[in-house]
Amino acid sequence: MTAPVDIEKMDEKIRQLKESALDLSAMANEFPAVKRNVARVLASIKMLELNVCDVVGFPD
Amino acid sequence: MISEQLYWNPVLETMPLERLRALQLRKFKAIFTWAYEKSRFHRALYDKAGLTPSDIRTFRDIRQVPKVEKSMMRGIQCKDPFPYGDALCVPLEEVSNFRQTSGTTGQPVYQADTWQDWEWWAECWAAILWAQGYRPSDRVFIPFGYNIFVAFWAGHYAAEKLGCEVAPGGVLDTQARILKIRELRATAMMGTPTYMLGMADAARSKLGIAPGTLGIKRITCAGEPGASVPATKKRIEEAWNAKVFDHAGATEIGAWSFECLDQPGGLHVNEAMFLVEIEDVETGEIIEEPGRRGKMVITALDRMAMPCVRFDSKDVIEWDGAPCSCGRTFRLIKGGVVGRVDDITKVKGVLLAPVAIEEVVRGIEGLGSEYEVVVEKQGDSETIKLKVEVSPGAEGRVKEIESELRHQLRLKTNLGYEIEFYDYGSLPRYEVKARRFKDLRKTA
Repeated sequence: MTAPVDIEKMDEKIRQLKESALDLSAMANEFPAVKRNVARVLASIKMLELNVCDVVGFPD
Repeated sequence: MISEQLYWNPVLETMPLERLRALQLRKFKAIFTWAYEKSRFHRALYDKAGLTPSDIRTFRDIRQVPKVEKSMMRGIQCKDPFPYGDALCVPLEEVSNFRQTSGTTGQPVYQADTWQDWEWWAECWAAILWAQGYRPSDRVFIPFGYNIFVAFWAGHYAAEKLGCEVAPGGVLDTQARILKIRELRATAMMGTPTYMLGMADAARSKLGIAPGTLGIKRITCAGEPGASVPATKKRIEEAWNAKVFDHAGATEIGAWSFECLDQPGGLHVNEAMFLVEIEDVETGEIIEEPGRRGKMVITALDRMAMPCVRFDSKDVIEWDGAPCSCGRTFRLIKGGVVGRVDDITKVKGVLLAPVAIEEVVRGIEGLGSEYEVVVEKQGDSETIKLKVEVSPGAEGRVKEIESELRHQLRLKTNLGYEIEFYDYGSLPRYEVKARRFKDLRKTA
């Protein structure tokens, strides 16, 4: 049996991920290994936003 | 099990049409605003048309947005910020990938992508591969000369994203690639239709291997319209004993369309990521109804470094009115990309789409897959010459083949041809984009 997709919950988790990634990026201005890896993480998070967050709260 | 899921994104791919249109409109406003604010090139274009972001409220407003043509992109490149020119919307330090177009229609156009754009490319391709049945259990062999052309780079990254095992076929020659497919027991691959046919031919003639025994189950074709040409698709599927899927994309646009597992005789437009409009070539009117061909004007809704906003692709397409049995609400374009406005030309007063010749040649048993068309003008009269190859074993049937070929050409293109037969293997073979149609009237 397939579990239903809880898109609102997913949206919330993605927003938390982004917030954490942005915090980490802000802490890493003198730490290239963290700064650049977080930049890639943020690009991946953007793909999650396109897949999930852009649809949430969208008028039916 | 995730592998049993039909859709890469079950929400977007089955979204009711009305919501999909609303999502597209919202995304169009966002990318238009981005381009207006960040690119001097786009700003000048829109200022000249008297448009600002607040003017974009409906689809009717979108139609007022000036189109961008490839020649305009050629005009700005090599200027600052070098080499992309002022369509670039991000600092150069954020550009992570350089690609260029193949130059089929003139000087190559340079394209910048950020890492986010590159993720986006892979994301669009991931939706394609998932829809075509690629799963983490696949071992994907990519016989492509990884270089400055975008071609199958994004397919590679997307297959990785899906969880497939990817074997890059890079600088290996054709025979080495075939042997590697056999050695690794690859299950899927990607290439141009021309090269897929060429590889099958090389397997048989150079290595004595029947390509259909190698275990390839699915092939994704791009770069040419062949995989949507029924006769070409049939030849590749029979040669490899595999399902063949078409995909249309472009360097300046992205991976905008795909054939799904149900093979409905057309390509789905990824309408969550792209806005496709079809414009009547004569009147400029936007065509909404199925069955009327026009040229594609396309917007990539989420590409940021060098936005693609209402790009005049010159690809000739038409909407298919029938829904697809796969359940996706993304609309279909019937028969894929049937040609380019530049390619469809008048010969002896008759409109000719070169793809129609391909359908005839590859539909005739006894002819090889390669052919060449040469249009010339001698005095006031035009001639159209078709060069074809006879398949091994069919040499004794040339007269019968010629008769069938003439009949089918007349039927499908309404034109008479000078036909020349060549030995098998003597016409040029191509790996990337084939150039089989030569209009010498333009150079005379």
